[in-house]
Amino acid sequence: MILLALCLLAQSQADQELQKQLEKAIQADQQQTQQGQPANPPAPPAVTGSTGTVPQTLMRGAQSLNPDISAILDATMGWQRRAPQFLNGDDPNLHGDTAHALGFTAQEVEVAASAVVDPYFKGEVYLTIANLSGLEVEEAFATSTSLPWNLQVKAGSFRSAFGRQNGQHLHVQDFTRRPLINAAFLGDDGLRGPGAQVSWLAPLPFFLTFYAEALSVSNAPASIDGPLPEPVKSFGANVAQRPTLTAEAKFFLPFGEEWSLYGGLNFASGESPGLSVASGGTMGAGRQTQLFGADVYVKWKPANVAQTYGSVAFQAEVVVRHLAAGDGLADDWDGGAYGQAVVQFARRWFVGARGDLIGLPASSVTARTARGAVDLTFQGSEFMRIRAYAELEKGNISFADQSVGMLLPAVQPSWAPALFFQLEISIGAHGAHPF
Amino acid sequence: MIALIAVLHVVSSIQTLGSLAKEVGGDRIEVESLAKGYQDPHFVEAKPNLMLVLNRADLLVYVGLELEIGWLPPLVLGSRNPKIQVGEPGNLDCSQQIPVLDVPTVRVTRAMGDIHPLGNPHYWLPPQNARIIAREIEERLVLLDPDGRAAYQKNLAAFEARVARKEKEWGGIAAKLRGMKIATYHKSWTYLSQWLGMEEIGYVEPKPGIPPDPQHLVRLIAAMKEEGARLLLMENFYNKSVASLVAEKAGAKLLVLPTDVRAEPSITDWVTLVEAVLKQLAAAA
Repeated sequence: MILLALCLLAQSQADQELQKQLEKAIQADQQQTQQGQPANPPAPPAVTGSTGTVPQTLMRGAQSLNPDISAILDATMGWQRRAPQFLNGDDPNLHGDTAHALGFTAQEVEVAASAVVDPYFKGEVYLTIANLSGLEVEEAFATSTSLPWNLQVKAGSFRSAFGRQNGQHLHVQDFTRRPLINAAFLGDDGLRGPGAQVSWLAPLPFFLTFYAEALSVSNAPASIDGPLPEPVKSFGANVAQRPTLTAEAKFFLPFGEEWSLYGGLNFASGESPGLSVASGGTMGAGRQTQLFGADVYVKWKPANVAQTYGSVAFQAEVVVRHLAAGDGLADDWDGGAYGQAVVQFARRWFVGARGDLIGLPASSVTARTARGAVDLTFQGSEFMRIRAYAELEKGNISFADQSVGMLLPAVQPSWAPALFFQLEISIGAHGAHPF
Repeated sequence: MIALIAVLHVVSSIQTLGSLAKEVGGDRIEVESLAKGYQDPHFVEAKPNLMLVLNRADLLVYVGLELEIGWLPPLVLGSRNPKIQVGEPGNLDCSQQIPVLDVPTVRVTRAMGDIHPLGNPHYWLPPQNARIIAREIEERLVLLDPDGRAAYQKNLAAFEARVARKEKEWGGIAAKLRGMKIATYHKSWTYLSQWLGMEEIGYVEPKPGIPPDPQHLVRLIAAMKEEGARLLLMENFYNKSVASLVAEKAGAKLLVLPTDVRAEPSITDWVTLVEAVLKQLAAAA
């Protein structure tokens, strides 16, 4: 009720503003007419189309078998006091290291193609160029469409179903940068790689799906030299012998027409590549690593916009990591979480806030770091949005606690504010996204 | 003979198609619809529970012409139901035989707004199109359930006879509306206007899906006054704040109309839907 009241209030103010603008425009129009100047030309037609009918056969005959092809650009400018310690592959990279940086980047260019392959598979390919450096296959996979017993297989290279944000591409994110747990525990580019997935939709009165995946994830030992130590990867050692394995369960419960609850429990297991040491060797390489995660997404959105354009979405994820003893390091636990809220307060406007905390608990390879972020998004159309994003990160919080036996040097400077402006455009036919 | 247990489970994207399927399928089918009658069929949220509904379907009927492109494909893929995938007999795009209007005659770009490149998908109100949809559904039901052929043919004939009776009954209203000039919110009334001979002189949306600016509204209001358009039509799932302002300034009446079955509790099938639209139009004309 409170949400509805707030949204109705915002709607009422928007209505009043439009009324004022319209009155002004009508007045200006009348003045022009009185002064003998030409009035506004008539409104153009809303679409250029045939007045009669076109035989369907002609139209369908003109179709080709080309896949749906699209390109998405995230062009970003910003300022930061120092480079982020937990830099995701598709974050805006302004470089600068420990010095402040001010500039532009093409945060990501994504090129996507998708089509039905045959009566048995659908195929999707997503190529990405992040920060204008190197062409990568973000995902390229086939999904089965015809297996019995509610089974589905995905094979190729893809983002794991672990958690909520990991499976989403940059343009589906509500903020300019991904949450800290992504680079800290899942990998710079999230938990993704060549592999196979089997999923099963349980025949229950509510939505419950189980996933099992095997991925050949490859990562190098983290470099911890200098004032911006890299996060130690959870997986990616011994890629030739040890695939990373995951298991997830996702459930969905609608509460009436307006409220939705989507949640998941996640598990992943693999070997950490550890970290490189100054002498040229490694520490902690090949440690057996497990990730335990849970995620929740709660959304309030009325069935239509007759009363309000408002909506509210809460999202939170927590990850706990276990690093077994090995290669000179003791058994260790660390973890992190984030929570965010995004409110649509007008037809084209969204405001969001997110809090991140990692190093909870802190370990010898993960210091406690906190970050707060806010953003304001203008969605000009279904295919364009402009976003202002500000964050403040505080590193080294756990360095005062000697009990964690920190291996990493302290990040410098520990306080790191940043501000970004992001323009996102999408051209071509891009497939619909899941809830 | 009446089947005691439904043979086929039919799922429709919008309620009206489900209602038309029920007219033809009768007791041999059970029907569920994904979108509510008061939802904008362009922007239904692809909630995972809808995958469960589709998982149980023997036949999926949908509007096509990319009306549901923003939400139906991930649901169909996620349903893990081989029967309703594109190209299978359980997947029926109801636009296949429809004489489509507003098919772009120039190269389309998004500068034209959020347009439908294959033509206008809001085609289910005119009787001639309802008949086409019902026939398409009947053919598909016979293919999936040959034992029900006689029942489906009988139900289709009964529906067509009912539509013919209603067309005669609605003749007076249609005559009254012929030549009437109207404005609409979204360009979704083209088929109704063509059927009833109404003339659309402008739209609140400058381009499909694009919110209007004051300059566009000034031009629309001027055009409505000049052309004598006394009605502004809008679906009941849109926000009426802008439309009511335009109607007020243009000295016109805003008609908030249903476009789908179950848009209001009293609208239970295609006939009551069309009747509700016609009655409101006639009362306001």
